[in-house]
Amino acid sequence: MRKFQIAIIGGGVIGSAIARELSKYFLDIIVFEKGSDVASSTSKANSGVIHSGINSPPKSLKARFCVEGNRIFHQLAKELSVPIKWTGKYVIAKNEEEEKELVKLKDIGIKNKVMGLRLIETDEVNFNEPNIKCKSALWVPSAGITLPYQLTIALAENSVMNGVKFLLETIVIDIKKNNNYFEIKTNKGIFKSDFIINAAGLNCIDIVKMLEEPDFRVYPCRGEYLVLDKKYAFLIKSLIYQIPQEKFGFLGVHITPTVDGNILLGPTSEYIAEINDTRTTKQKINILLKEAKEIIPIIKDKAVINAYSGIRCKIYPPEYDGISDFRIENSRVNPGLINLLGIESPGLTAAPAIAKEVVKIISKNIVLSKKTKFVSKYDKYIKFSDMTNERKSKMINKNASWGRIICRCENVTEAEVINALSNPLGAKTLSSIKYRCRAGMGRCQGGFCTQHIVRIMGEEFNLDITKINLKSNKSNLFIGKTRV
Amino acid sequence: MEKLGCEKKLINVTNDVSVIGSGPAGIVAGISAREFGAKKVIIIDRNNWIGGILPQCIHDGFGIEEMGISLTGPEYIDKYVEKAKNLGITVMKETTVLKINNELEIFAVSRKGLMKIKSKSIILAMGCREKTRGNLIIPGDRPSGIYTAGLAQTFINLYNIMPGKNIVILGSGDVGLIMARRLKIEGANVKGVIEILPYPNGLPRNVVQCLKDYNIPLLLSHTITSIEGKDRINKVIISKVDKNKKPIPDTEKIIKCDTLLLSVGLIPENEISRNAGIILDDSTGGPLVNQYYRTTIPGIYACGNCLQVYDTVDLLSIHAKIAGKQSAKNAIKGKNHNNYAEKNIIVKPGTGIKYIIPQMINKTGIIDFSFRLEKPNKFSKISFELNKNEIFRGNLKYSNSTGIINMKVKIPNYSPKSILEVILNE
Amino acid sequence: MNDETKITCILCPIGCEIRINKKNLFIIEGAKCEKGIEYSKNEVLDPKRILTSSILIKNGILPLISVKTNKPIPKDKLFNILEILKKTSVNAPVEMGEKIIRNILNTGSDIIATKTVKKSK
Repeated sequence: MRKFQIAIIGGGVIGSAIARELSKYFLDIIVFEKGSDVASSTSKANSGVIHSGINSPPKSLKARFCVEGNRIFHQLAKELSVPIKWTGKYVIAKNEEEEKELVKLKDIGIKNKVMGLRLIETDEVNFNEPNIKCKSALWVPSAGITLPYQLTIALAENSVMNGVKFLLETIVIDIKKNNNYFEIKTNKGIFKSDFIINAAGLNCIDIVKMLEEPDFRVYPCRGEYLVLDKKYAFLIKSLIYQIPQEKFGFLGVHITPTVDGNILLGPTSEYIAEINDTRTTKQKINILLKEAKEIIPIIKDKAVINAYSGIRCKIYPPEYDGISDFRIENSRVNPGLINLLGIESPGLTAAPAIAKEVVKIISKNIVLSKKTKFVSKYDKYIKFSDMTNERKSKMINKNASWGRIICRCENVTEAEVINALSNPLGAKTLSSIKYRCRAGMGRCQGGFCTQHIVRIMGEEFNLDITKINLKSNKSNLFIGKTRV
Repeated sequence: MEKLGCEKKLINVTNDVSVIGSGPAGIVAGISAREFGAKKVIIIDRNNWIGGILPQCIHDGFGIEEMGISLTGPEYIDKYVEKAKNLGITVMKETTVLKINNELEIFAVSRKGLMKIKSKSIILAMGCREKTRGNLIIPGDRPSGIYTAGLAQTFINLYNIMPGKNIVILGSGDVGLIMARRLKIEGANVKGVIEILPYPNGLPRNVVQCLKDYNIPLLLSHTITSIEGKDRINKVIISKVDKNKKPIPDTEKIIKCDTLLLSVGLIPENEISRNAGIILDDSTGGPLVNQYYRTTIPGIYACGNCLQVYDTVDLLSIHAKIAGKQSAKNAIKGKNHNNYAEKNIIVKPGTGIKYIIPQMINKTGIIDFSFRLEKPNKFSKISFELNKNEIFRGNLKYSNSTGIINMKVKIPNYSPKSILEVILNE
Repeated sequence: MNDETKITCILCPIGCEIRINKKNLFIIEGAKCEKGIEYSKNEVLDPKRILTSSILIKNGILPLISVKTNKPIPKDKLFNILEILKKTSVNAPVEMGEKIIRNILNTGSDIIATKTVKKSK
């Protein structure tokens, strides 16, 4: 039974950000992730937006951590070589009624100390965004976009470099509180820890229940997205949002460019029964297309190359009309159990600020001493397609597999696939490769590169290729051999 | 790419004709170019084998129209590979073309490094890719066990891997039909082929020898309305569809399965062409070409499935030969040969016609057209109208499918900016 | 009395629908060529198919070698032959056209390789 000071449950963006922040100190840290990779749930299926903070009620934790997180992202993205684009955002009004809402939003933003907000007329919107239909808009320059799964991977892997232990496919079965430590039973054995950080996202209530009676419930709320082909990247440069529909407690269908040059339509908002019901539905797909076409009339159905959904962790019922804020607190019943509850949007933006908050909570209980040799830089996943020709030639000279393109849609080389497969977390599913090097993410959706990736897994990593999984350990790709 | 300083690091090659893609179209066009006088012909392919998709097409039926014999895919391509070798054509394997430009320069990469290949003519033969679940926007879960039919074929025939046991196939395209039989032969339980159209999409011969021979159900006017399974797919929900291909409520049925194959159409691969500024035809998905299969950039020709998705390799090869021959002529006579004349005819698909190739003509005399009907149509006549005057009327010999139809038509003298419209008369 | 049947010819991509009398093999209509007439008569009397599949190959650069029957075989023997193919394995190298099994199940047809698989290094 190994003893740790900190056990983080959940390898989403929150758990991973906390792991990295804590890895700056002399601490023994372990992270349990039930999926086959980090960012396997809510953290990978969202808009990838770095929010400005205009949508959260003033003085709420959401507003505070969002604005603070937004600021941290400038430095963080550089350190972790995670792509980020400060595209800015237009919240658009379609009629006079909605224009009044824009003014309200601007006021909230000013209270939250969001800089550079400006109400602008259609002409100015259309000068920058000629394909958008609107009456007027609120310009929010501090909004941006990133790749949420790549960020989570970088946070997690960088923390591994700094001594954190990550265990994938590890399910917490039970937790017991002994005098001054927790005993955590998992499918990979029993672990002891002084602190537990409950960053289990949609499963946060299950962790609480293992120790105490929860005073909240989880209301999973699904958001569906459509992805457009890169051919349509020209449609927008910035984020295009509608007036938030307060009564539904979400930001409404928006149109978001991604760092990779696709466009996202979505999300929808629908309360569902199961926390893992990530299906997409015909009805919502139609709504997304219809609403998107109202904003950008030239969008065509055939532009869609993919559909997916993500689930928000809401801890307030749909009819609740107060402030549905994050809850970040050290349990009163079981001090040392630090719960992070209801981390929904703007959770991604808030993650680095939440991580600092958790460090603060812990520092009240134990003395933290900073490492002098913390490695803040992480740039494992350099991309062939981003390199200058000179660099490309150099890389190929050093290692010929940089010259062998495996995924032609995204121009991913064999070297990048091998690099992705040798990740420090030990994730070896098809999805974990896709999220690290983009092979299979393009327009053919793996039609051409899957065979090469499977071949490399067999040849270079000696894996039994008939046992490869797509994502979870039950999502086998194959059933065996054709001929034995 | 063009930046100074990098030039030195590029491997420079000069050719008469460079072909992108070593599938049947590329090989056949390359051979033809060599036979018609091009001295140095190279074929570039990203894979470590020659022949594109054919080595995995182990079923027979290749070469019937072209050679009068029925060969398997590997046998068919072997005949041409031998010929290409004897003619001294170089195939650069594991070499990926990154881009081409209107100066007829190809930028490519291989394990040897970045390279720039200058050519007098370029032939595009990049083939096509399969439509995916995303293209159809099928709702439901996102489990494993969903494959395009061609990828399943790759794994079964080349990698000795079985993708699944209980199979549902969406789409009755030829690859899907062939895979239905292939999987059945390998002991899988093929539960049915679901087709949204009221008629099968593949060739009649494949419906007979792949489905009927093996008692595999074909459900016409049906589609999949949901995919279920959290980890691996465990069922699909199918519905009948109405005339507008919309699912009819209360006709849902569950089919349990562990694998879903998609055979729902092919998309010509033209990212390289588009980036080079070649104009594409929205209805074929391939470049606009003239009667010599020349694209809108002088010196660049197109053939094979990147030009239009063919039903058989035979017609594909016949057309690729013409593209190869013309590229050689262009290489020999220099850049200005058969430049787009001011005088040309725009060819348009009219009523009942899905698309037609060539889309442009700049000569009189016999022109070989290939086109598809919008839907199967027995006993029909086709008229070719040049500026609204009928110049040719042909009977459709067989048109009980949406297969490619070939017609030779004599083009008389015409005035500049003429329009040739092709119409289906019922 | 209905002795008439409809047969879709599989010899070429046209796929003629041929109407034929099962009793006297009289072609009613639909065949566009001589081969089709021949095919439809055979289809009534003794339907035959070319079988294509693959066989395990050892020490080859590929795990499988594709094969076919070099003549059409009776349709009802397809699965019997497949059973044999599943149990068969060969050693690389094998050349395209090489006979792997002669006169399989006394059908007069041989199983031949349809590709060349070289020995792996």
